[in-house]
Amino acid sequence: MNNKPRIAFFDFTGCEGCQLTVIDSLENHPELLEAVDIVQFREAMSEKDDDFSIAFIEGSCTRSSDEKRLEKIREQAALVIALGACAHLGGVNAVRNIQPLESVRRCVYGEKAEVYETSIAKPIGDVISIDGFIPGCPIDPEEFIRGVKRLLQGNRPLIPDYPVCIECKLRENACLFQRGKVCLGPITRAGCGALCPSLGVGCEGCRGLIPNPNITWLKEVMAEHGQSSERISAKMGLFMTNQILESEVIDVES
Amino acid sequence: MTLKILPKKALPAWLDGLHANYRLVGPRAKQENFVFDVIQNAEDLRLDYNTTILPPKKVLLPQQETILQFDTSKDFHQVEPVFEDTPTVLFGVHTCDMHAINLMDQVFGQGYPDAHYQTRRQHTAIVTLECLNPCTEFCFCKSMETLSVPEGFDLHITDLGNVLAIEIGSGQGLTLLQHAKMVRDAGPKDYQHLQDVMSEKWPRFAYQLDFDITELPSLIALSYKTEVWDSLGDRCLGCGICNVVCPTCNCFDVIDEVDFDLQSGSRYRIWDSCQLDRFCSVAGGHDFRSSRANRLRHRFLHKFKYQPETYKIVGCVGCGRCAQECLVHISPVDVLNELYRRQVPFASIEQEVLV
Ligand code: SF4
Ligand code: SF4
Ligand code: SF4
Ligand code: SF4
Ligand code: SF4
Repeated sequence: MNNKPRIAFFDFTGCEGCQLTVIDSLENHPELLEAVDIVQFREAMSEKDDDFSIAFIEGSCTRSSDEKRLEKIREQAALVIALGACAHLGGVNAVRNIQPLESVRRCVYGEKAEVYETSIAKPIGDVISIDGFIPGCPIDPEEFIRGVKRLLQGNRPLIPDYPVCIECKLRENACLFQRGKVCLGPITRAGCGALCPSLGVGCEGCRGLIPNPNITWLKEVMAEHGQSSERISAKMGLFMTNQILESEVIDVES
Repeated sequence: MTLKILPKKALPAWLDGLHANYRLVGPRAKQENFVFDVIQNAEDLRLDYNTTILPPKKVLLPQQETILQFDTSKDFHQVEPVFEDTPTVLFGVHTCDMHAINLMDQVFGQGYPDAHYQTRRQHTAIVTLECLNPCTEFCFCKSMETLSVPEGFDLHITDLGNVLAIEIGSGQGLTLLQHAKMVRDAGPKDYQHLQDVMSEKWPRFAYQLDFDITELPSLIALSYKTEVWDSLGDRCLGCGICNVVCPTCNCFDVIDEVDFDLQSGSRYRIWDSCQLDRFCSVAGGHDFRSSRANRLRHRFLHKFKYQPETYKIVGCVGCGRCAQECLVHISPVDVLNELYRRQVPFASIEQEVLV
């Protein structure tokens, strides 16, 4: 047996897009396969070995059975990294969290609603401790590769803590607000290279909030640009339901 | 002053000549806006541009640049600095941005001279352009005394309609002009024409600041404790756009990136912004400017107090880019006038007491 770091990938509630992006990233960086041993990756291989030291977890936690599985991974892995918006934030799945669970279940499963277990969608960091995260829906392949290299060096992935606006301006985009559109760039964590604004589409916030975002005033800006409060809430709730709920609790308390 | 005259119809051929011999960078359209970029075809150059999203500073200090390459696998750790020395002509720089470049030259030239900046600067010739109309409703160059070209340009162009008046600022400028055909010396009529255009342009620009810029350092110092900062801090998104678009901001972050062997890699720098939440976080987690109000005040202190005191150049050239891009409409002119307005009553009270 060699002494390369042993890496495993796990999936919970998500679309598997982040795992696909990992597979994609290998195309440009085949060196990764020489630097590590991938011992478990359901999306890409049938072998399965439970001796791993770094676990990448995709998907949110939506069932009590998920929690047990997560705890088991945590026991084995020296490092646990949340992979993508669902694992990091709860992801799009978390839009259910502001609706009654019963109606959510009925809407999704119809008559079979009673058969399936489901609960609110939680980021995995709410269930087990995590050592880092690779944000985004889906993740950015280059950021994933850089993150792995940092882990191999014994560091956490270096994820920007500044907003998308910085990358948007570094790329010299005209601001979408000046072109009659709205954008969550000022409160959303950068790292995607301002992907959406660069393509003319407002940021949806898939990488989550920056530290200490000024949500109140971004709402004012959106209202000034003709957005109703329903639209503003809907936009902010797509990826950031859990984070916005949390920040509102903090607002009320303070 | 040595003044030359170039018919406008000879401009494309001149640009082609420059493009053949240098990396030619100038303003070109990007959707409804303008950006400084490499000019491949003469017709792409837009001397009628109003302003650019990013300032021409980016040619001398790129948004992101590799500064060295390392390899620690060898017995002697190998470290190779990376310099960019492509001969470049930066064409069509407005006078405010030239003032800003002069400030950058000081910032990156004093103390520890920055060899990466210096190398680019030494290999860049600058052709400036006289502004005949305010570029946007946000600019306040006249108040900041940047509406005239400062020293440091190699050539300076004023659009006289059918011809361009070209002032030669350096031997390097003269060399650039040798790539142009149909250049002639200016005659008395040309000087007169230039003078007319210059005196007509002046009233088109308004003074926006309610006071003289020599008062700025003391005004900002006296305003250290005003609640203006708190209300601005409430509104400010902490997005950092104002720093990124500013021609005089010079802060950058330095990041190492290793290859998969974990031994070799490169170090790059990337523009940073003092309005960002973690700008002042230090080892151990302490953040000595954790509120947006404090960070905003710092930005004003740096531009209007520290820089004029250190370099004898005000750290804002009035280009208006930050005011134009700020989503919550925080504009230096408004802030400064508000600070001034709040100072005046105190000043007059003092005088009354003295009388
Ligand atoms: S388009 Fe979005 S990300 Fe870009 S500057 Fe405007 S608000 Fe920021
Ligand atoms: S711009 Fe926003 S929504 Fe788009 S990839 Fe980046 S963080 Fe996600
Ligand atoms: S651009 Fe405006 S909102 Fe953004 S950091 Fe600067 S002052 Fe604050
Ligand atoms: S502070 Fe604003 S107006 Fe002044 S130079 Fe910078 S971007 Fe231009
Ligand atoms: S401290 Fe702030 S205002 Fe001053 S140069 Fe740096 S980013 Fe610009």
